[in-house]
Amino acid sequence: MSQVHVLIQTGYGLNCDDETDHAFRLAGAAPHRVHINSLIDGSVSLKDYQILVFGGGFSWGDDHGAGVVHSVRLRTHIGDQLQEFISEGNLVIGICNGFQTLVNLGLLPGLDGNYRQRSVALTYNDCGNFRDQWVFLKADPQSPCVFTQGMNHFELPVRHGEGKFYADPAVIHRLEAQHQIALQYALPDGSLAEGHFPDNPNGSVQDIAGICDPTGRIFGLMPHPEAYHHFAHHPDWSRALELNRRRGISDIPDMMPGLQILKNAVDFARSVQ
Amino acid sequence: MPYRLEITLKPDLLDAEGESIRKKTRNYFGIDLVSVRTIQIITIDASLTSDQLATIQTDIFTNPVTQISAWTPLLLPLDWAIWVGLKPGVRDNPGSTAVEAIEDVLGMTLKPGEAIYTSRRYCIQAEGLTREHADTIAASLLANDIIQQWQVYPASDWDPSVGVGFRIPRVQLNHQPAVVAIPIDSDRELLEISKSRNLALNVQDIPVIRKYFLGSQVHNDRVQWGLSDPTDIELEYISQGRSDHCNHNTFRGLFHYRNLDTGDSVDVDNLFKTCIETPTLELKRQKPWVVSVLWDNAGAARFDDDHYYVITGETHNSPSNMEAYGGAITGIVGVYRDPLGTGKGARLIMGSYGFCVGDRNYAGDLKPHLHPRRLLDGIIEGVRDGGNKSGIPTTFGQTLFHPGYMGKCLVFVTALGIMPARILGQPAEEKQASPGDLVIMCGGRVGKDGIHGVTASSEVFSEHTPAGHVQIGDPYTQKKMHDFLLEARDLGFIQFITDNGGGGLSSSIGESARSSNGCHIQLEKVPLKYEGLDQWEIWISESQERMTLAVKPEHLEVFMALSRRHAVESTVIGVYTDSGKLHITYEGKTCAWIDLNLLSSGFPQWEFDADWRSPEARGLYEPVLREPGDYETLLLEMMSRPNLCSKEWITRQYDHEVQGSSVVKPLTGRRRDINSDASVIRPVLTSQRGIAFTQALLPLYSQIDAYAMTACTIDEAVRRLIAVGADPEQIGGVDNFCWPSIQYHPVENPDGRFKAAQLVRSCLALRDMCLAYRIPLLSGKDSMYVDGYLPGKYGEVHKVSALETLQFSASAIVPDILRCATLEPKASGDWVYILGMTRNELGGSEYYDQLGYVGLNVPQVVASDVIPLYQALSCAISQRRVASCHGVYSGGLAVHLALTAMAADLGMTVNLSAVPVQGAIRNDQVLFSESAGRFIVTVSSDNREAFETLMRGQPFACIGQMTEFSGNLEIRGMSGEHLTQISVERLYAAWKKPFGALI
Repeated sequence: MSQVHVLIQTGYGLNCDDETDHAFRLAGAAPHRVHINSLIDGSVSLKDYQILVFGGGFSWGDDHGAGVVHSVRLRTHIGDQLQEFISEGNLVIGICNGFQTLVNLGLLPGLDGNYRQRSVALTYNDCGNFRDQWVFLKADPQSPCVFTQGMNHFELPVRHGEGKFYADPAVIHRLEAQHQIALQYALPDGSLAEGHFPDNPNGSVQDIAGICDPTGRIFGLMPHPEAYHHFAHHPDWSRALELNRRRGISDIPDMMPGLQILKNAVDFARSVQ
Repeated sequence: MPYRLEITLKPDLLDAEGESIRKKTRNYFGIDLVSVRTIQIITIDASLTSDQLATIQTDIFTNPVTQISAWTPLLLPLDWAIWVGLKPGVRDNPGSTAVEAIEDVLGMTLKPGEAIYTSRRYCIQAEGLTREHADTIAASLLANDIIQQWQVYPASDWDPSVGVGFRIPRVQLNHQPAVVAIPIDSDRELLEISKSRNLALNVQDIPVIRKYFLGSQVHNDRVQWGLSDPTDIELEYISQGRSDHCNHNTFRGLFHYRNLDTGDSVDVDNLFKTCIETPTLELKRQKPWVVSVLWDNAGAARFDDDHYYVITGETHNSPSNMEAYGGAITGIVGVYRDPLGTGKGARLIMGSYGFCVGDRNYAGDLKPHLHPRRLLDGIIEGVRDGGNKSGIPTTFGQTLFHPGYMGKCLVFVTALGIMPARILGQPAEEKQASPGDLVIMCGGRVGKDGIHGVTASSEVFSEHTPAGHVQIGDPYTQKKMHDFLLEARDLGFIQFITDNGGGGLSSSIGESARSSNGCHIQLEKVPLKYEGLDQWEIWISESQERMTLAVKPEHLEVFMALSRRHAVESTVIGVYTDSGKLHITYEGKTCAWIDLNLLSSGFPQWEFDADWRSPEARGLYEPVLREPGDYETLLLEMMSRPNLCSKEWITRQYDHEVQGSSVVKPLTGRRRDINSDASVIRPVLTSQRGIAFTQALLPLYSQIDAYAMTACTIDEAVRRLIAVGADPEQIGGVDNFCWPSIQYHPVENPDGRFKAAQLVRSCLALRDMCLAYRIPLLSGKDSMYVDGYLPGKYGEVHKVSALETLQFSASAIVPDILRCATLEPKASGDWVYILGMTRNELGGSEYYDQLGYVGLNVPQVVASDVIPLYQALSCAISQRRVASCHGVYSGGLAVHLALTAMAADLGMTVNLSAVPVQGAIRNDQVLFSESAGRFIVTVSSDNREAFETLMRGQPFACIGQMTEFSGNLEIRGMSGEHLTQISVERLYAAWKKPFGALI
């Protein structure tokens, strides 16, 4: 089986690289943590990778809008290389701060094959504050999104102050029609949050938690899949374990939903190699 | 010419920041505003073409989806406009990143002197808002006069074509740096100079300093370097090194302790040695997991064979009291440099906070610099931004309200890191600078920040005077440095590393030079934020985000290349020697030449009188109180007490899951909002081993006896760790003392001797408990002057002193995180147990405080009685015999039974007649006593027998059962009588009531 090489950007205030690296390893890939400046100065080339990760954190301290300076620097220096990377059918995932960078780069939503235009935004949470909580999510089964294939209703943590998805109604309508709204904030019963706080933690239009491009190979989401790669990440793990014990179940699940998202990507990348 | 870009959200988008300002204006001042819109201003003091301006406007500064912008003032409707910008010299982080982005996009470099500044304009709509109100909003909410300047415009004065004009807060010092020699002809003269120059030399130290410089050998040697009288830089070095902050003179003092009840007296020489160092070293000998303690920036303990974890705790009280946000962010970012500067450097893995402030709804006559509500908001936000932007999970914290903290608030910050046990085969916990190694300053640049602390605030400011004394932590710069230094460490480049905190280079170089026994510093090489700093200012500036390193010359080239890759500034500023001297030159001319061992020799020990009187002799007594009849109202109101109720809004603002290590979160339970006993993280992602962390804070008990306060605080921390399943044999402690002044003065501090006695007793309790529970103190700090002077109603000024406070943090290893316990009962039908003995110990309790009493019977800890119980419980948890476990803390059994039921959203029946008690005691005493050593545990039917077998011989009892979903807490009294029955829902509502609406 061939190796899937994953490039995880680091530096300039990014911060989820260690656990993202670990989670991709669990998902069967060969992850590499690479400083943004190594991409910019050409000492590392995207050509050697199949998955590019824009991870969580506070790139450039979130000054001038989350993800803005990161996207400016990449567009200036390796804009063409990025376009080539995606046109060759490789995968890109942006998580939290990385999602913000992807929409500022224009890699999302990629309407009409335009991967340079900013047409959606992630702005300040309606609640006015940074928030760490777990959310229920609903995946669109008809979405082309490679990352959420076969997933339905699950939980992940969110941790952000600027996660409110916003775009004008025409854009939202197109995203919906093309099934690019891969993930939405939901209630415990699986129905949509419909803007209800804190189930929808930031006031996102249409409960949008994550979107993909029309090909499904570029995916951005505010929740953190890498932060649910272990059974004991879930807030209720201790109850689940005890109740399982009483039912005579001793196995500890290891394919948590966050890890599944990454594994879907790794499996896809391997299948097209 | 300068350019000014104004950027704002599109009018149909909610302005969350403006909305938050509108709410705060109502909450803080009772002023109703119709709307607040915020505008970001980028002022560009550089020559750019119109094409270039258009490019940066669209490519960088304006989001086409959400924002609009213009190079002329935006026409937003307003009744008032308020402009807020930084004062000169205050670090403008967005300004710096704007430069970086502009240079990148335009492919150019700004010329020297060119710069970019950011500021804000607020457009306020409000009917009938007066100038006075607008000024209040500007001065007390939008701006902080220590770091920011502002201007208020009524609509009538607002010229939409001019806007706020062009504001360029450039620093212009126009000062020629100079070294000054200080005459030392007499003690008095030196004392006068010390006062006039804010040197803060200790009176007792002055003769020692003079003797050193007047000595003929020293004098003759100095002449060869062109020196005679001490220079300002040398005296600053001595002053910093001898300060209580750096040298812990109080803790190393000689205490004449007298028991005025009995007439007995005893001298306690050096509290640090007697009560901290000696017991910790003794325990280190017994516990091989204790790796490195008592000398470095943080203590180190073994995590597993391949990793050590390091831990330390700090306070940042005075700065936070002055400037809540800036003080707090500087505090947390500062403490995060300690693990990074421990051994050869540790990666940060978690942080925690402890806040002590006055009543959030204070409406009395005292006028603190900041109202507790504003103060608390500011410190919450400061620690939030400092922690979150560092990418370090904040997994634990507590907030305590008491009027004593109106004088000065407390901000505790604690940091943990992890390091490989060996780096290229060398022990990671060791570091050594050798002669010939280069002295490297890494990170931020040096400005006038933090020089002489708050004394500078009395200086007259002009529009180009830098805001000297204020530091604003910058987690972004530090995170870059953190990532860089860890890579440099793993390549073996770091021989020695320490952080620049209090005392700046003076402390960090003074400390690292002792490792090689000398150094030569070329001060002109230190990179500055702006020209015109005097040499002594460069030497002691507390500009943040800097580390001092020793690097071998042969590693320099690769080290510097790595530094550039990480966009971190590193500069060689000197070389380590073995001359025995601190030698500083400026452009070739010597300005300091001083023996490195001067600070550790010959200075007199501080002395304190410490007079103790027992609580009884001080007139404390138990209140005469008959048993209440309405337990329902009583318990509901107890749940709403500020120190017991939910503070979820604080916890949720902190990222507690970054790094993917979260196991037991700060909040738990069905609704995920009950405070966990301790947090647990799994810092090595490939391992199932964990670190449990907790802290405890019980200052109310100091009203009766600081010995009991300390013993109970430590006991609570131990129980918190045991409750989550940590190994009791691997507990390390961190002591953070915050004490009011203990120096007796008949007028200014008439009870100073008593407070000194409280400190002695607290330290003795620390020693006794650490030895009993076998807890080595991995780290600790003290902050000794927690007093403030507050104006009252009539212009009179009150001294307000904090309660004698110890925050005790504790960490321990969890061998297998899947065996952790949480406090949430797992199923109805499970049995409820109480472990430990309940006594009539309500002194200093929340119950007595609710009724307006202090009382006398403060809880006592009998370690030998409780330790076997803790061991048995620990065993039961590791064998998975326990479904949930929670300690009984402040508020007593009733409050913690309620929390336990609420965590499960299950009803609970409890019968007090079974509770193990000692001495005469009645229902309210059983329910609200705060006796130490107790837990509430739930056990499933199939584990009852095994559990009870393990607990045999201990004081414990089954007192009830978990009932149905969303049921009632039903309590029967000691004679089986019905006491109360309250729905979990109502308990929950009462517990949420005070702060539940806050987000």
